[in-house]
Formats: sequence, structure tokens, C-alpha cells
Amino acid sequence: MKLAILLAAALPLIGTKFGTLPEGKGKSAVESRCYACHSADLLLQQRLTQKQWTATVEKMMRWGAGVTEDEKPVIIDYLAKHFGVDNRSFKPRHTLPIAPVRQRP
Amino acid sequence: MPVVDRRRFLALSAAASFAPAALLADPKAREQYMLQMNGYAVNAETPLELLTDYITPVGLFFVRSHWNPRTPDPKQWRLTVDGDVEESLNLSLDDLRKMRVTEVTCVLQCAGNGRALYTPSVPGVQWSYGAVGNAQWKGVAVRDLLERAKVKSTAQHLHTFGSDDPPGNVPPFHRSIEMEKVMSDAILAYEMNGKPLAAMHGAPLRLVVPGWCGDHWMKWLVRLSAQPQPQKGFYMDTGYRYPLKPGEPGVTFKPEEMKPVTELAVKSNITTAPKHAKAGAASTISGFAFSGSPDIAKVEISDDDGATWRSADLDARHSPWAWRRWSHRWTPRSAGKARLFVRATDDRGQTQPRESVWNQSGYLYNGWHSVDVEVRA
Ligand code: HEC
Repeated sequence: MKLAILLAAALPLIGTKFGTLPEGKGKSAVESRCYACHSADLLLQQRLTQKQWTATVEKMMRWGAGVTEDEKPVIIDYLAKHFGVDNRSFKPRHTLPIAPVRQRP
Repeated sequence: MPVVDRRRFLALSAAASFAPAALLADPKAREQYMLQMNGYAVNAETPLELLTDYITPVGLFFVRSHWNPRTPDPKQWRLTVDGDVEESLNLSLDDLRKMRVTEVTCVLQCAGNGRALYTPSVPGVQWSYGAVGNAQWKGVAVRDLLERAKVKSTAQHLHTFGSDDPPGNVPPFHRSIEMEKVMSDAILAYEMNGKPLAAMHGAPLRLVVPGWCGDHWMKWLVRLSAQPQPQKGFYMDTGYRYPLKPGEPGVTFKPEEMKPVTELAVKSNITTAPKHAKAGAASTISGFAFSGSPDIAKVEISDDDGATWRSADLDARHSPWAWRRWSHRWTPRSAGKARLFVRATDDRGQTQPRESVWNQSGYLYNGWHSVDVEVRA
């Protein structure tokens, strides 16, 4: 949790809305393990095979996503099911990207 | 090569515009119309139909961040220059502003622009067309700074460091560039389009590397180090690499079979085209073209699936590695659905390929771009 708090302090004030994940087994695990560093938008737009998702989740675990061994297969299955190679559901929202970024304290 | 004057060019491009009128009329609204590829870390691209200016407005310029940055406090901020130099430097923004001013106008494009267009698909931000823009950059030539530090001849690579420490165990975004390149034309920019650099674009200081992909354009710079060897780490040894000899789509390579992605690939896009046209009546299409080579030699349009090509008019405005705006009066021959392709050739003679070369990270997409037009009798 310390990581999440630290990151929240560095969040840019962008005033945008973030994408949300579809319902399904594994959704809450993804939310709790993946939102610390990026919003769901980054996941919603991917079109990856089970193999590519496995490699990506393992990379994120090395990078600091606190995924337990029990959660790992659930998370991979959820991502591969919803954001597989045929995923065409992502529509980027219109937004104002340029906004002040909070200065280092 | 055909060149039209600015006034005629603007008239031509305005006539054919199909962007919503309200958006073009109200510059504020126009600047807000970006496509959010990721809420945080901020990644946003420009809708292609709004990339119609020679100089892309700051508010319309794409933003690429690996993670939520920790931006420097401009008052406390210092740039240090160390390594193989006789005099290490520690400079404030005022110190830099007192140095000789160098200005360049050139394209900034994310290495991954167009990643979404590759099949099979690859992980990463799924940029389509708009992670690119053309801007005026003002600052200090890297050469001037390194000469002031009395850089030694042993220095072959410039290591670049920003203030944006990564979260968790994510490797830091530390990079390096060959000394030969930075000494020839790179600048340390504190202004973009005549205004102090915006935080999202790397304030107070970012690197500008004309003709090279955005991963070299380090933002939030705090340190430069002149070194005999290239930088090590994930973002040099694994990330931002392109195959030495690309294979078939889907074939992946080990890092040692790849090299850092550097120069941009020759590319053109159609930004403006009518949705409907009339057979026998001319209408205008326009767009931009750029390359890792300093200029574009020609831009061509085909309405018969690449069998024959007609040259577009190139706008006169240009500087090395800036994009060329182009426009073309196109007269459809018959009714039906027409598909217009564009391709560019740079001043080294490299022509844009029909299919971009697939690579496992989805870099340098430059396949022919097309638009469909409904032609009435
Ligand atoms: C400690 C921070 C952190 C956590 C936690 C994290 N990621 Fe990431 N993730 C990153 C960074 C950094 C990137 C690179 C972003 C970039 O370059 O735009 C990234 C990129 C990605 C990408 C794009 C592909 C790539 O490899 O760059 C995907 C997909 C992804 N993450 C999925 C996940 C999933 C799924 C989770 C949860 C299991 C997760 N991430 C948790 C830091 C994190």
C-alpha cells in the first residue's frame, strides 16, 4: 500500500476520467494490483494472446505489482479473455491532456 | 519539386477541411480535443484530422509519459554536466538563457506511433496516427554546452538523466546518444513554440534530437554525463530496440539481435480529405510528410491501388527535419468508392513502403496511409 500512497502524491492533476474494467472473475484483483502505476485505459486497449499476457504480467510483477501466486492465473485469464487479439472495444476518450503537473515537494 | 506559396497553400487546405467547424472556429475547443490513450501516466495523441498546422500548437501536441513524473521545481532546478569533461558544470535556467540561443523547427514523433496498426498486435500504448507533431524548439546547442565544459575526446556517448524517478522496481529511464549526433544538431530546449516549455513536455529543459525518435528527447533533464561507453539498463538494452535484420511478422528477436531505434522512417499522412466528391470535379486533399532524412523530395497520391501516382504540391515552409505540408487537387474519374493512398520519398531517395516492417515492439510504423472517398456521378 505504501507504493500506492507514494504514487498518488506524484499524480498529475489531469482532470480526466479513466477507463473502467468489464465485470468478470479477476476484475477486483486487477484493480487492486494494477492501478497503482497506470489507469485501466492501458489495459483496455491491448490485444494480446494468453502468452503475451503472461509475459506482461510477469514483467509487471518484476516491476513491483504485488500479485500473489494465487492471483496470477486469475489475472492472466481475465486479461486474456477480455483483451485478447480480437479486442476492438477500446475507444480513446476526448480529453485535455496539457495541465499543470504537481511539482516535486 | 512542386512548391506552392503559403497563401495559396492555406486556401487549398482550408477549402478541403472536414474537421467539425466549431472545433476549428474556437481555438480553445480545438486545443482540448485530444485522444486519451492512458489517463495516468498521461499518454494522449492528436486526432489526425487536427494535425493541419505547419507548427503544431502546444495544446494539440501529443504527450508521452512512461509513468507519473516528478517534475523539477524550476527555482531549485540545476543541470549538471559531468563525466569526461575538464570542467564540470552546474547551471541554472538563467545561466542557460544567457548562453548563445539556437532554434530549430522539427518533427517529434514517438517511436511507437502507429503501433496499433501492426498485425500481429504487440503490447504497449496503442497509438494510431497522432503521436507526432512539428514544433519550434529554442534553447542551447548541446555542442555549445559541451565545449564550455571542455569535453574530452574520450567521450563517445552522452548519458542523459531526467528527474522522473520510476515507481516500484521499474527501471529508470536512463538513456544515451552517440556524441557525434548530439554534437552535430541536438539542442537543450527551454521553449516550445515561443513559450516556456510546458511541464508535460519536459519543463524546464528537454533534449531535442532532430530526425530521431522521441525516446531520445529526454524530458525534465537534470544531468548530462559524457562517457566512453553507451548507457546500460532496461531502456537501452531491452526497450527501444529494432531488429538488425527484421524477419516475418510475428518473429521476435533477442536484444543482441537488435539495435537502438534512432532515425525516423519516411512517412506521410493525409490529414484532410472530403468524405464525398463528384466525378470529374476537383477536390483538395492535404497532409504532412517527414523522414529521418532532413527533407522530403516528393509526395505522391494514387487512386488506383498504387498502379499510378501523381505528385502533390509541397508547401514552401521548411527547415531540416521539419515536416512538409503538402496538398493535391484530385479529380475522381468515375463514381463509386475511391481509396486514396499517399506515399513520400525523402531527399535520400527512400520511399515509404506499402506495408511497414513488422517488429516486436511496434516501432516506426510507416505503411502507406489511405482514406476512402464516396464519389457521386
Ligand atoms: C510498479 C508499477 C506498475 C504496476 C503495479 C503495474 N505496472 Fe504495468 N506498467 C508499468 C510501467 C512503468 C509500464 C510502462 C509504461 C510505458 O512505457 O508507457 C507498464 C506498462 C504496462 C503495459 C503496456 C505494455 C508494456 O509492457 O509496456 C501493460 C499491458 C501493463 N503494464 C499491464 C499491467 C498489469 C496487468 C498490471 C497488474 C498486474 C500492471 N501493469 C501493474 C508499471 C506498473
